[in-house]
Amino acid sequence: MRSTWIAEAAAVFAKDWRCELRAKHAIATLGLFAVTSLIVASLALGPVGIDTAERVAFAPVLIWLILLFATAAGLPRAFVHEEETHTATALRLSASPSALFAGKAAYSFSVLAAVEAVVAPLAAALLQIDVARPGLLAGALALGGFGLAVASTLLAAIVAQGRGRTTLFAALAFPVLVPLLALAVALTRAALGAEVAAGILAQLVLYDATVTVAGLMLFPAVWNP
Amino acid sequence: MSANRIEFRGLSRRFGRLAVLARVDGCVASGEVLPVRGRNGSGKSTLLRCLAGLLAPDAGEIVAAEEGRALEGEERRRRIGYVAPDLAFYEELTVGENLGFFSHLRGIPPAVATELLARVDLPAERRAGALSSGMRQRLRWAFALLHRPRLLLLDEPFQNLDGPGEQTARALLAEHLAGGGLAVVASPVLLSLPATLDAIDLDR
Amino acid sequence: MKRHAPWLLWAWLAAVIVAAFYYAPTAQGFSGYDQPPGGDAGHASRILFFHVPMAWVSFLAFVAAGVWSLRYLAGRRDPRQDRAALAAVELGLVFGVLATVTGALWARFMWGAYWNWDPRQTSVLIALLFYAAYLALRAAVEDRATGARLAAAYAVLGLVVAPFLFFVLPRLGFTLHPDAVINTRGKVEVESRMLQVLVASAAGFTALFFWMHSLRRRLLDLAARREEESI
Repeated sequence: MRSTWIAEAAAVFAKDWRCELRAKHAIATLGLFAVTSLIVASLALGPVGIDTAERVAFAPVLIWLILLFATAAGLPRAFVHEEETHTATALRLSASPSALFAGKAAYSFSVLAAVEAVVAPLAAALLQIDVARPGLLAGALALGGFGLAVASTLLAAIVAQGRGRTTLFAALAFPVLVPLLALAVALTRAALGAEVAAGILAQLVLYDATVTVAGLMLFPAVWNP
Repeated sequence: MSANRIEFRGLSRRFGRLAVLARVDGCVASGEVLPVRGRNGSGKSTLLRCLAGLLAPDAGEIVAAEEGRALEGEERRRRIGYVAPDLAFYEELTVGENLGFFSHLRGIPPAVATELLARVDLPAERRAGALSSGMRQRLRWAFALLHRPRLLLLDEPFQNLDGPGEQTARALLAEHLAGGGLAVVASPVLLSLPATLDAIDLDR
Repeated sequence: MKRHAPWLLWAWLAAVIVAAFYYAPTAQGFSGYDQPPGGDAGHASRILFFHVPMAWVSFLAFVAAGVWSLRYLAGRRDPRQDRAALAAVELGLVFGVLATVTGALWARFMWGAYWNWDPRQTSVLIALLFYAAYLALRAAVEDRATGARLAAAYAVLGLVVAPFLFFVLPRLGFTLHPDAVINTRGKVEVESRMLQVLVASAAGFTALFFWMHSLRRRLLDLAARREEESI
């Protein structure tokens, strides 16, 4: 009997969540980091009293910067932890690479979605913004978070096999993620009521599709010796 | 031509300027044990990692077949059974959950894992992080045999095992060989195993 | 013939330099930020004969690095292809930095500031960061084979993401900054003698890249061989 691809990916996803819920490595740290930095930034801005248009322009940048740093701080664990504790060997012997990649990316995405679910409403509340298009905001967070999760899963797998992993992750991830962040910021801005160029949604979808395909194709080369 | 077989020619692997393996040859077939001997640092583990597909050799060729079917690349890695000190498990999960996860990946019914755990005498409820080193070694054996591999790569297979533990491991190996399986066994000391071929001596 | 090729290259590039200063006219229609519009860029515009080819070679080097990396991963993991990719990245970085610096000088003349966050400048800067990260990655992995594999995967990822950097980002930049100063560039008729020099220069720089690449590649091959024989 052979396990199906989906079942394998689901097993990886479930295993990661189970370990996470027992040890609470990422969620607690990430949530705390996100909320703290959001409050600090809002507090620093609050008394200055910038006007609504400026807040709408600024809030998306703040949200996505926090998500980027939360990603850099927490998600490399996806593979770094496996390599550091040597569980990667057993995983290499047992899992098909592409299913493993899909499971890990899904796990990263779900963690990021949980952080987003806290950060986005909190940012809107703290910066006193009425969200003009909540549906679009959810879409922007979902698409941006997806791209962020997939790209950083591949990068984490690369970084996990080198030295100086956390700093290396930031150096490798930044150039790859710039287009994603620019698009996600623009789309989030649109959701908060600003005028932005047409076609951004489509471009974000295209970016997500591109990194997903590239991730599935490149991951075996990264993971297999 | 034997149904199960591993043959390798001219295997070389270097780490930076250090050549750990230099043109190593060997061949092992159904029911046989190929011992690999050598001092610490002589490349025993490196050789087994190459054979397992966990490390790419710089040069050389590896041919593996299971029940007459050639195992290529990734399939070789997923089909062999591997017991080695660098094999670790998820410390947050119990022994049962660990094996359950790997069974799930391989599409193996959970009963197989339960049976193996009973055989190596491990408590399924114990967290893997709370196992003694001998118990970890038993778990490695259970992990390696989960998918009934015909090709076993054993790196210091009896380390940390107590008397009964080693007896169980030897019995499992004997059954494996009797069923037509083969094994490559790396150890710095003589292990007196059945059906043993001439050893590959990495010190020379 | 092969022995004389570098000399031909030097002669060609020397001719391009002379032509850039004495054959090609100065750019009409380009005027500095502190000059009245419709003027003459004067000698400042001659930097373009070097800036554009260097930017082109940098781009060529990065594409070549991506292609060699892809061939490394898809093929039999031939270390020579990996070294070719590495040499291309190194040269691409050198030419990219030169293109950025000459571009900044031109930007200072045209728009009054060395750096304008012009989308093209931004995307080139990010591309340079990408390949600097490529080198950092190689330095961070001890094992040669592992480093080559990871770096190749990263280079291919770069090749895939690059279109977003070069096509999507600039459009976003324009729309976010509708009054972008770069629009003053508009359409300029390229005088035919200028075009001749530009094309000749681009050809010369392309040949220069391949020559330097073959040198660097041979050096890397020799270093690898010395390492293998030093046991």
